[in-house]
Amino acid sequence: MSYAYLFKYIIIGDTGVGKSCLLLQFTDKRFQPVHDLTIGVEFGARMITIDNKPIKLQIWDTAGQESFRSITRSYYRGAAGALLVYDITRRETFNHLASWLEDARQHANANMTIMLIGNKCDLAHRRAVSTEEGEQFAKEHGLIFMEASAKTAQNVEEAFIKTAATIYKKIQDGVFDVSNESYGIKVGYGGIPGGPSGGAGGSPSQGGGCCT
Amino acid sequence: MQETELYDLSDDADYAASQQQQGSASMMRSDSSKRSSSSEPEGAEVVYTKDNVTIHPTQFASERISGRLKLIKQGSSLFMTWFPYKGQSSSARLSEKDMNLYTIRAVPFTEVRSIRRHTPALGWQYIIVVLSSGLAFPPLYFYNGGVREFLATIKQHVFLMRSAEDANVFLVNDLQNPLQRTLSSLELPRAVVAGLPSAPQSLVESPSQEHLKAVGEFHGESSSTFQYGGRQRQKGHDPTRDISIQVLEKFSLVTKFARETSQLFRETHSNGYGSFERKRNSQSAIDYTQKEADPAKKVPNQSFVPSDPLEKKPNIEHNHDEETSALVETFELIDCKEFDKLSLVWGKPRQPPLGSEEWATFLDSEGRVVDAKALRKRIFYGGVEHKLRREVWSFLLGYNTYESTDAEREYQRSVKKKEYEMIKHQWQSISPEQAKRFTKFRERKGLIEKDVVRTDRSLPFYDGDDNPHVNLLHDILLTYSFYNFDLGYCQGMSDLLSPILFVMEDESESFWCFVALMERLGPNFNRDQSGMHSQLFAISKLVELLDLPLHNYFKQNDCLNYFFCFRWILIQFKREFEYEMIMRLWEVLWTHYLSEHLHLYVCVAILKRHRSKIMGEQMDFDTLLKFINELSGHIDLDAILRDAEALCICAGENGAACIPPGTPPSLPVDNGSLYPQPDEVL
Repeated sequence: MSYAYLFKYIIIGDTGVGKSCLLLQFTDKRFQPVHDLTIGVEFGARMITIDNKPIKLQIWDTAGQESFRSITRSYYRGAAGALLVYDITRRETFNHLASWLEDARQHANANMTIMLIGNKCDLAHRRAVSTEEGEQFAKEHGLIFMEASAKTAQNVEEAFIKTAATIYKKIQDGVFDVSNESYGIKVGYGGIPGGPSGGAGGSPSQGGGCCT
Repeated sequence: MQETELYDLSDDADYAASQQQQGSASMMRSDSSKRSSSSEPEGAEVVYTKDNVTIHPTQFASERISGRLKLIKQGSSLFMTWFPYKGQSSSARLSEKDMNLYTIRAVPFTEVRSIRRHTPALGWQYIIVVLSSGLAFPPLYFYNGGVREFLATIKQHVFLMRSAEDANVFLVNDLQNPLQRTLSSLELPRAVVAGLPSAPQSLVESPSQEHLKAVGEFHGESSSTFQYGGRQRQKGHDPTRDISIQVLEKFSLVTKFARETSQLFRETHSNGYGSFERKRNSQSAIDYTQKEADPAKKVPNQSFVPSDPLEKKPNIEHNHDEETSALVETFELIDCKEFDKLSLVWGKPRQPPLGSEEWATFLDSEGRVVDAKALRKRIFYGGVEHKLRREVWSFLLGYNTYESTDAEREYQRSVKKKEYEMIKHQWQSISPEQAKRFTKFRERKGLIEKDVVRTDRSLPFYDGDDNPHVNLLHDILLTYSFYNFDLGYCQGMSDLLSPILFVMEDESESFWCFVALMERLGPNFNRDQSGMHSQLFAISKLVELLDLPLHNYFKQNDCLNYFFCFRWILIQFKREFEYEMIMRLWEVLWTHYLSEHLHLYVCVAILKRHRSKIMGEQMDFDTLLKFINELSGHIDLDAILRDAEALCICAGENGAACIPPGTPPSLPVDNGSLYPQPDEVL
């Protein structure tokens, strides 16, 4: 299926916060509590529409355990968006956000859009991190913020799409040179007549060949 | 350029702590009488020595390993070595085995890409050495200072340039600059590290380039004619190179014949390749070349016959000289007698799994395995019937010795059961009050609890709520994390344990078999990933040896870190095959019949199967990673094992030399005992 743009996303955060479940909910619209734990990285993809343009999200779901950080870092390259996930019922996963963010800042491109997700908000009775704290952290670090539940699907769609909309806006504002793939964006065949409006330096003919 | 900061300390909680303990550095005085006996390359000059250069393998101050860093000049090559001091009191918890793991044995600077200097305002300066493959050594902390001097010394001997992007990164032999590239290819001699002869880089420029391209297509369906003209060997100049060409020529043979080649190699090379017992320790560069020279002489020329016997007649088209024609006949003779013409896969055909009746023939009246090697060979070629696995795996894993009798094993079972219960009791007796004050315990337990419920739950054996087997996974892993508290628990272990529990069923027996497996694969889970990096490094060397065009492709596309093989290696292909197939693969790997590193050849075999697609579609790192991930469930195990077998045999000693000593699953070099740290808990 053709697309106007392809965005690479990476999902990061402590082990067991629900990264794979968020991905599965988004791509397959289902919740699978017994999903095998992620070793290395897994991939998912889905088409969405923004501003009437088909956009393909290619999502990299990473292993969360500390020991794999050195490997995970190699996946940041060329990501346009990151979902940084913590578990609202486990305080420590919130406490580790700063170190995840530091990794992202160091190894991803500076314009990467980061969405902070407080997952498992269906388990409000076991909440260990307040919504305000999440908001505050996001505000301090310039992130978009949402609480979501991979189980009930609440805000899952929104989180992925809002991130894409932000990236799309950056393209429109000329923040990216879309012909430079290190920004995690590929231009597809999927009908952007005349090229991305306002895009800086990108043209469909340059990026058109990489539609896969 | 993919600059992976593998050992960044941003997540090293211990680093802050270390800064407060700087005083203790003075207690770690060097003791020259304890210096490592490992020798420098012959005729070498030590141009820099620094004591108390230390590695922090874990976050525990007690487990740091101090050693001596040296720069050694030999001819026009510069090498770096770092040897841990022997018998450090500060690291009593570390075995020699662990210390050896980190030893840096003569790394030539031709293989170093960059050195990153870290000069924190507080605490020790340290450096991280990154190899051209993208792999890196753990940070080396200079307790006595001397980083500046270290860099200055290097600069005197090799081309060292400060990176334009980061003033703390020093690029070694930066080949971006065309002039420098030329210089380095002219001046830097082939670095033959003791026991680690490097792969045939010089082939790139050799007259046989065309030939190599043809060779590269060996597994393919390529029916294109074979470039025979490039065969003339340049005698005497570079033995390593000649050997490499031979290896590659053997491949070309395989390509053309696409058949039972492993048998052929076993026969033609019975002297050179008969024994796969390596003695890398003593293997100097010199005896390496000597060893290889002999079989080279014995290799009958028919190895190079370009025609395809499948065509039933000599392919005269590109055989012009009499010698070759004559040899074709010789070869066809062998061919008719020995080989199965119908087979289109190479490597020996797989056999049916070992069954009960045949198994009985391997045992004497008291239950000893009479001929362990024959048994391992049999299993290598066919695996084991499922109902026998419980018995046979305990031998393959080294939990039971082949020499043991039924009675001895029965006795051991009861002894080991008690021992297991004792270790298990250690964590079972931790009260909730105690746990509150035992963060490490709570964290590990929590992690294991989270992971066992995400391990193979789609299998009937592990499915459903409150599945007792899931609880067993939990108990065994937590007990293991007490048995080997240093290693603890790491994700991936549950994948390794799951089939073992499925086969053994018994809790204690599963635990001990898992322990035996982890003796070999434990380094896969080292916090600094050193075990993983040494294996990924070995794969890169093997691909360089066995498929130079593919190696060059990876090099050009920044894929040399081989991270796309990470999952394969970490959990031994567990996620790539169906359950039954993974048990088959594991028992074959565990035989260590041709090589204890067959799994690395399996990696190469899979990559080779897809080489045309990878290169044809110009896959970049991301695409390649995704492609490799998606091979899961689509790999033909039998075909891959045959490929891997053939690759392993063809690579022979050259292949073995690509794999650094101590690379998992090898037991570390200086340590023969299976349980070097029994019950070193808490």
